[in-house]
Amino acid sequence: MSTVALPGVEAATADGGPRRRLSPWQAWGLALLAPYVAVFLVFVLYPVGYGLWLARHPQSYVQLFADPVFAGSVVNTLIFVVVGINLKMAAALFLSGFFVTARPWIRWLSVLFILPWAVPSIPTILSIRFMLNPEWGVVNQVIFRLTGADGPNWLNDRWIALSMAMLVHIWKSLPFWTMILIAGRLAIPGELYEAASVDGASVWQRFRFITWPSLSTLYLTSAILSMIWTLGDFNSVYLLTGGGPADLTHVLATLGIRYLRLDQVDLAMATIVCALPLVLPLVYFMMKRLSR
Amino acid sequence: MAPVSFNNVAKTFGSTEVIRGISFDIRDGEFMVLVGPSGCGKSTLLRMLAGLEEITAGTIAIDGRVVNHVDSKDRDIAMVFQSYALYPHMSVRDNMGFSLRLRRAERSEIDARVMRAARILNLEPYLDRYPRELSGGQRQRVAMGRAIVRDPKVFLFDEPLSNLDAKLRVQMRSEIKALHQRLKTTTVYVTHDQIEAMTMADRIVVMHDGAIEQIGTPLELYDRPDNLFVAQFIGSPAMNVVRGTLRRTGGAAHVETADGVRWPAGSGGVDGQGVAYGVRPDHLELVGGGEPAVPGEIVVVEPTGSETELVVRIGDAQIIVETHGRTTLQPGDTVGFAIDPANVHLFDQASGARLAP
Amino acid sequence: MKRLLTEARLVLIGIPVAIWTLLPIYHMFLFSISTKEEAFSGELWPAHPTLRNFGIVFREQNYFLNHFWRQFANSLLIAVAVGAITLVVAAGAAFSISRLRTRGGRLVLNCALFTYFIPAAFLAVPMYKAMGTYGLLNTQWALILAMVTIASPYAIWVLKQASDKLPWELDEAARIDGASPLQLFRLVYLPLIAPSLVAVGTYALLLAWNEYLYAFLLLSNDKDITLPVALGHFLSADDSPWELLMTTGLIYALPPAAIYYAFKRYMVTGLTAGAVKS
Repeated sequence: MSTVALPGVEAATADGGPRRRLSPWQAWGLALLAPYVAVFLVFVLYPVGYGLWLARHPQSYVQLFADPVFAGSVVNTLIFVVVGINLKMAAALFLSGFFVTARPWIRWLSVLFILPWAVPSIPTILSIRFMLNPEWGVVNQVIFRLTGADGPNWLNDRWIALSMAMLVHIWKSLPFWTMILIAGRLAIPGELYEAASVDGASVWQRFRFITWPSLSTLYLTSAILSMIWTLGDFNSVYLLTGGGPADLTHVLATLGIRYLRLDQVDLAMATIVCALPLVLPLVYFMMKRLSR
Repeated sequence: MAPVSFNNVAKTFGSTEVIRGISFDIRDGEFMVLVGPSGCGKSTLLRMLAGLEEITAGTIAIDGRVVNHVDSKDRDIAMVFQSYALYPHMSVRDNMGFSLRLRRAERSEIDARVMRAARILNLEPYLDRYPRELSGGQRQRVAMGRAIVRDPKVFLFDEPLSNLDAKLRVQMRSEIKALHQRLKTTTVYVTHDQIEAMTMADRIVVMHDGAIEQIGTPLELYDRPDNLFVAQFIGSPAMNVVRGTLRRTGGAAHVETADGVRWPAGSGGVDGQGVAYGVRPDHLELVGGGEPAVPGEIVVVEPTGSETELVVRIGDAQIIVETHGRTTLQPGDTVGFAIDPANVHLFDQASGARLAP
Repeated sequence: MKRLLTEARLVLIGIPVAIWTLLPIYHMFLFSISTKEEAFSGELWPAHPTLRNFGIVFREQNYFLNHFWRQFANSLLIAVAVGAITLVVAAGAAFSISRLRTRGGRLVLNCALFTYFIPAAFLAVPMYKAMGTYGLLNTQWALILAMVTIASPYAIWVLKQASDKLPWELDEAARIDGASPLQLFRLVYLPLIAPSLVAVGTYALLLAWNEYLYAFLLLSNDKDITLPVALGHFLSADDSPWELLMTTGLIYALPPAAIYYAFKRYMVTGLTAGAVKS
């Protein structure tokens, strides 16, 4: 259908389609979006592109794979993620059940329980680091007082130190995931539980047939997101063990920074590229989930 | 105050054509109601007039000026939304004065105009309240107040009463009507409720499937619907329609349905034509067995107090009959009806178009 | 009897949870009120609690604390700047994507989400190199801009979720009332999403205040660094004054905890709702 050209009116395009000139609404839309686009281009896209360009040399990877620290870090990362996530999420699931119990003192406890998440991680991790000090730390002093024997040198053994880093990570992030699962549990209609009680369901059956089916999607999403964040957890390892002893407790997140500090940027970027096969599928999953 | 004209206006979303080239004029000061079932395009048409939707083709003019590419704010219109769209963070006073504030009017002028509108709508005691503290009817009035304050050329109403309960709806209906009689501003009012349309409009545009079915005053639409769609859409309870064949013998005419019932008809149409035969519920008159009568059997009796609605089986058809006063009839009773051929509406079976007269 | 058993079981869970949660924080507090000797003695309460450590920190009377106030101010300034800039960037973007339906908004949102999901520790290396290219290394702008980059994706996401819930008719009513896009943004949009703005601003502020890795990479001058980096420096000596480290740590940890509890109402509903959409 053609439009009649009228005096005093800008000519519309033949099919009445969009005009070429931007309306103030479109112009403002672009203007308000521009700051973030600029931030993204300058501080994400360019750096990432530049970083990938730095990581293009095959010999970086040869060198990286030849470095025993790298192999150890991959193993550590996998252990950290697999064991850490499962422990943390299982604990969060259990504790969310505990915290939805209606008792005044549990309400108070839940307020305190958030503290590790509300407080910055550096001082608390350092506090734990000193608690684990073999000579002066409170842990070994208590062990000595109770048993008369010296406690282990917590941070001087690869596996103990790695476990401790994992515990630090769990200590820090457990409150957040517990809160998420509490919100999930509170969203389950109470009538379902009342009906189940009338039907004579046991505690386990109530969990199995009501709580878990309503919570499983949230649990899975939380676990995936938590996995991404755990892969990127630098503080728990770096501030507790510094990657030591003898660079045995590095994870990929701290290894990249270690190479950067040693001025081996190519290796740092190669490390990150090696972590991408772990990260990207998880990111893809989360993007799919949030873009629905 | 201004006339509004639509000239071949069309709208497509992607490949779907929702408005199919509509033309009509609204006179200066007229209360025009756009009515039709949901999805007929009436709201889209109003939103195009408001500048909230692009016009795909054709032109819309307000007061002689084509407004296709004029921003909403420069069209000199005011709109009342179905959800009222009051700004929740502003008091009633600020809600009503917002448009003037945006136009950088003087504080004293804003106050004066808000007060004037508040007085018209009895909103003075509520000026410092927030929308959440008001009842549905009060919010509705604030939405109207916001429109009045502007003193625009055209008022637009988009289903403004749908969110109110039935009683309040009737009350607000007459308030809006009274307001229009007082301000005499051109008004375009969209509704899916034909009773609202009938009671409020100077003229009604009946829309269906993106096109106009008929334009006319309420009584014109009621008495002489142009087609079967309008006939069945306007009027409550709806017009009874049966399908049959027109038999014209000498001076008399009737429509014969497949079940053998003969329905008395007037002029229009040719012998043997397939027709839709329409008669309004209050045009069937109960008669005591005399001739000529259409025989029927009572199925349901629904007294409403002043009137009684009967559901009657005539042949294979279920027919609604409205009788004044009360009745002693019982379901199962056999009765006869007289139908004045002058009150019969005949439509072509295939096209649905009205056959003369 | 059965009821008593339930209560006992709850208490049996509650006590270990309380100890687990509070132990490292209590340990920090214990050090801050102990002398060095008592801190290292492994007692659970000092024989002579003292506030001396706080005096030393506040008067900067230790080699590691020479710039305490300066570093405290740096942390504060950077956190406030990050909070403010993130709010401006994210509110504009969310309004543009959600309310103005700007073309390409969906793509930008996906870019933001992608950035959000890439762990910050992995972005740190390329970011460090890029800051070097831009000549921003060892300036506080580097840290501010890096933190805005990291905070804004989630901020945009949360604000966009909140914006999508506002009724469309409000925008249309404002347009007809004569609002320009900027007036709609300022006079209608911002007041209506104020609770989410509080949540997002606090989130960005705390993120920047708490950040260690980027601060430690991007800043090096003792007068430019933030408190967490200064805390990390304590570890460089063999016999660090741990009681002062813990005192400084406690001072550093108090403001974010206080802010968190003050805005808990906004934080929990605003942030957890957006964190995991199930």
